[in-house]
Amino acid sequence: MSSSKKSSDGKSSEIEEAVASLTMPFNKILLTSSDGESFEIDEAVARKFQIIAHMIEDDCAGKAIPIDNVTGDILSKIIEYAKKHVVEPDEDEDEEAKKKLDSWDAKFVEKLDLETIFKIILAANYLNFEGLLGFASQTVADYIKDKTPEEVREIFNIENDFTPEEEEAIRKENAWTFNG
Amino acid sequence: MGQAPSSTAESNGREIDLRLWSPVIVSGGESMALGNVVAVRDRDFTGDLPDECLAHVFQFLGAGDRKRCSLVCKRWLYVDGQNRHRLSLDAKDEIFPFLTSMFNRFDSVTKLALRCDRKSVSLSDEALAMISVRCLNLTRVKLRGCREITDLGMEEFARNCKNLKKLSVGSCNFGAKGVNAMLEHCKLLEELSVKRLRGIHEAAELIHLPAGSSSSLRSICLKELVNGQVFEPLVATTRTLKTLKIIRCLGDWDRVLQMIGDGKSSLSEIHLERLQVSDIGLSAISKCSNVETLHIVKTPECSNYGLINVAERCKLLRKLHIDGWRTNRIGDEGLISVAKHCLNLQELVLIGVNATHMSLAAIASNCEKLERLALCGSGTIGDTEIACIARKCGALRKFCIKGCPVSDRGIEALAVGCPNLVKLKVKKCKVVTGEIGDWLREQRRTLVVSMDSDETEAVVVVDGEVETVVEEPRVVQAGGIVAEIGSGNSGGNNGGSRLATIRSKLGFLAGRNLVTCTFRRWSHNDNASSSAEL
Repeated sequence: MSSSKKSSDGKSSEIEEAVASLTMPFNKILLTSSDGESFEIDEAVARKFQIIAHMIEDDCAGKAIPIDNVTGDILSKIIEYAKKHVVEPDEDEDEEAKKKLDSWDAKFVEKLDLETIFKIILAANYLNFEGLLGFASQTVADYIKDKTPEEVREIFNIENDFTPEEEEAIRKENAWTFNG
Repeated sequence: MGQAPSSTAESNGREIDLRLWSPVIVSGGESMALGNVVAVRDRDFTGDLPDECLAHVFQFLGAGDRKRCSLVCKRWLYVDGQNRHRLSLDAKDEIFPFLTSMFNRFDSVTKLALRCDRKSVSLSDEALAMISVRCLNLTRVKLRGCREITDLGMEEFARNCKNLKKLSVGSCNFGAKGVNAMLEHCKLLEELSVKRLRGIHEAAELIHLPAGSSSSLRSICLKELVNGQVFEPLVATTRTLKTLKIIRCLGDWDRVLQMIGDGKSSLSEIHLERLQVSDIGLSAISKCSNVETLHIVKTPECSNYGLINVAERCKLLRKLHIDGWRTNRIGDEGLISVAKHCLNLQELVLIGVNATHMSLAAIASNCEKLERLALCGSGTIGDTEIACIARKCGALRKFCIKGCPVSDRGIEALAVGCPNLVKLKVKKCKVVTGEIGDWLREQRRTLVVSMDSDETEAVVVVDGEVETVVEEPRVVQAGGIVAEIGSGNSGGNNGGSRLATIRSKLGFLAGRNLVTCTFRRWSHNDNASSSAEL
């Protein structure tokens, strides 16, 4: 009662949680980005992020979860993707749905610049959101596909730190590896 | 960084590390607004990605692209090298001086293929030893055309690579001693595939598991072995065997199957092709109650009698492929028995088997789980047969008809029958027109129809998955397509012996029935079983 003193941190997060569970509908989860933006999403969507799914399983997810490593702009994009992918259509069973979703994915990523895609990869890695991590990685891979090393350096603005001799040595080695 | 642990499940070589990694993501800063394209070029953003994320991106790239990535910068060289788990090398003798530095760079290889073409001298025992010392974690190895490797070389290799789980050798010259050395030292070996091992002589020592050892060996594939009988003890006594494939090998396989049948066999998949095997062997197989998949291909001494035995007793049979080679020894009688007893049948392939509506109607009615059906090269399968399948086969999802006297009328029946049909393929049926295909597509919007008149890749019914087979015109062209056949085993460019073999096979087949090409893909293994005639 009056004698028990909790640290102010512990007390405020308890209050937060209490407020959250009073004001939020059942099965909703509140995510807060590093820069203070909040997103209310369905539990089913939140579960796409393994890190949160585990918290829910272990019962240590309050209704409000801070995502300290991701900014609001990135988090909103990730949630947008997660919402679309809550149910993944089976290629065999529902080809049409799969095609539609693929087309949405393509449009989704079209609007994003490389820097944002990298940020998404980092965030998806942190949140352990396998689907988006794979998709974003594939997107970056598509930038790299069929390009020469020089072209790749240009796209990603990478400096060539090989000497000509080193480069030649690597090429010679590479010649012994098959593409299959 | 160190090596990625390879102990847990590998799925297609993609070991996704989903450990939590919490970088601080630079928020905003330096006026890099979203969508501001110019700003992207200011610095190397891949630097923001931790090595494991960069490695994950590389996993989506083929070996050719990865080679180019390794030339981008030192960091990319390092990340690629550290995270290359699969490597395929041109195993010529001249590779020797490069091996040390290569395996310093690629220090996480778990799957290695060494391929040497027919015209070159392959790497030697010494080179193989050097590789094995540097790749102690190899789990899968493929040797092709490594003709200079001897029994001693294989033994040295085996001593170093104790974690080997899968070994596939083809067109090599070592012999039984080398194989036995592998079995002796690689105690974790699960899959063994041996094709055209020329060092196995008639008087070779017999091949068997080391005495008193508990084995993990669950799959054996033997192909084109002149002295296949040398493998008889191994096949007969490996109790843990689940998959057995024997293709064009000499040996007394009836006797071996009898020995297997009399023990408590855990065999679930059996593939017998172009062998000396008869109804005696089939009756022995009928005692293997766990058999789920059975391929009997071009074995003219197997008849209805043997098939009836199998049907009556192998209750778990799910996939049945029969290539009767048009010898008429297997037909309605055996298939009716299949209809009566094989109620779990999911997949049926009949090639050169003269089945009529009598047995097909029975199968369609009774085998309520039948999802995939292929009927090829049979003179008795016509419109009546297709119609009764359409009427009765409720669960059918994928249907392939090739080289049968079916006409448009038969195809018409599929407009209303087979309610669950998802994919239909009709090839080399001379009187079937392209128009009926179009008409059918109209009638059933969700049905994918593939016919001769289509230019694009054909979609084939395969064990549970949709596979694509490249059409003939593309097949004869050079390069990349060969990768389609034989599940990507054909290392790229310079005419590996396997490549040359495939090319000559295809050249021979050009203009012939596509059946044989297609049904190469029906087999489960990397060694595409040659339903094709050479």
